[in-house]
Amino acid sequence: MKKTSPLLVALAFLVVAIPLGWGFYRSVRNSMPLFTAGNAAAAAPVPAAPKAP
Amino acid sequence: MSSFLDRERIVAPPGFSRWLVPPAAIAVQMCIGEIYGFSVFNIPLTRAIGITKSIDGQDWKVPQVVLATYSLGLVILGLSAAFLGKWVEREGPRKTMFASACCFCGGLVVASFGVHIHSLLVVALGYGVIGGIGLGLGYIAPVSTLVKWFPDKPGMATGMAIMGFGSGAMVGSPFAVELMSRFKTPASVGVGETFLVMAACYFVMMNFGMLIVRVPAPGWKPEGFVPSTHERKLVTTAQVVADEAMKTPQFYLLWAVLCCNVTAGIGILAQASPMCQDMFGVSPVVAGGFVGLLSIFNTIGRFVWSSASDYTGRKAIYVVYFLLGCTLYCLIPFSQSINSVALFVVLTCIIISMYGAGFSTIPAYLRDLFGTFQVGAIHGRVITAWSMAAVLGPQIVTNLSAYQRAHGVPKAEAYNTTLYIMAGILLVGFVCNLLVRPVDPRHHSAETGTEGTPARA
Repeated sequence: MKKTSPLLVALAFLVVAIPLGWGFYRSVRNSMPLFTAGNAAAAAPVPAAPKAP
Repeated sequence: MSSFLDRERIVAPPGFSRWLVPPAAIAVQMCIGEIYGFSVFNIPLTRAIGITKSIDGQDWKVPQVVLATYSLGLVILGLSAAFLGKWVEREGPRKTMFASACCFCGGLVVASFGVHIHSLLVVALGYGVIGGIGLGLGYIAPVSTLVKWFPDKPGMATGMAIMGFGSGAMVGSPFAVELMSRFKTPASVGVGETFLVMAACYFVMMNFGMLIVRVPAPGWKPEGFVPSTHERKLVTTAQVVADEAMKTPQFYLLWAVLCCNVTAGIGILAQASPMCQDMFGVSPVVAGGFVGLLSIFNTIGRFVWSSASDYTGRKAIYVVYFLLGCTLYCLIPFSQSINSVALFVVLTCIIISMYGAGFSTIPAYLRDLFGTFQVGAIHGRVITAWSMAAVLGPQIVTNLSAYQRAHGVPKAEAYNTTLYIMAGILLVGFVCNLLVRPVDPRHHSAETGTEGTPARA
């Protein structure tokens, strides 16, 4: 009985983890303005909202 | 070539690690999940002729583009999954994944040609119809295969696969934006070329999954797996075929459960950016960050909640999705009244995590009730609820908030009624879930199961 090499399993996960990790990193980076600008927005009373895109 | 793709050729030999199957499933789902991020093409496609700005009467409009690509693709996804589910079960995952890769990537190539000759009909045929068939095939094949490989952890298995689909936008959107920026010239918005490169990359990735996927041998069980001897009411060891499953009330109850869960979640997801801006007055850039955060929680929720269902049982976890979801929806207007962006973000992130989880837990729920024999085909028919919800959710949010504004309700409070309606929809789902009972034995097939009893339902 030939067992699957754990290295092969790790390699297979790596193939999908690379694009996933890149996408995750980009999403985190894109969400940063929410945290950096959040305080300014929270400090103001409900202002007239800008037009939605 | 055909024999290479046949189910008989991919029966796993003794010693094969089942952990090679999740990457195969994720590879396919991650590619087809690109449809979630298709909105990045909307504006460039409306400037295919004008390049810097849309030309009235010549360029396409955003609603036309969305209808021909995203909406049509999702409708065809549901239909192809429903009608081709039995074929998928019969032919096995390798042939199905290959067919999915050919359709999805071939559809992108046809759509690229459509952009080149500026024919929306050809774009719709490519991305919406041909690509949509690829979506349907690629969505159900890996899920049903993983369910069979992980009888001890079906929730975790389906969570992994469908997490891949959720991550499609996280990967596909920035990838598409990068490519368009490289291909953009004074004479082209770069969409056609981007479609071609994406088709090539996705074809390679999907066929990577196709090559490594295997099905378990008849009678196979995970090493050391001892089926539970405790009787669990909703978990069957019998098998129900797809046509017979449609004669059971459980099928329609789970259809309604999925429809309610998705309708509520997709309403928020589709309107996240304008909702955040209208309710809290944040800038479009900040709202964009909020959407990015939601996509992360949408992805993670698929895996975490579905894995948790292996311990809590499927029925109990849906009770959490519906009751907690309902409570959180009702708290959103409160977050607006105290002007707390942080509370709003926390509430919506949890809601969206449960929206994604609704997708990933449903195949395991179906497996519990109907067995594994034709779970892919049954799953394919149930996800037509998604097509329905994809139309319902955004329509409810958009039209109701517009109606509220038209009747003098301040912009910041225009979503409140909609949110309460969404909470009500979740309560309907809660009732449907409570009504789920074990399938009557008269629906059981002569086919016998090869696996033991999974987690509690």
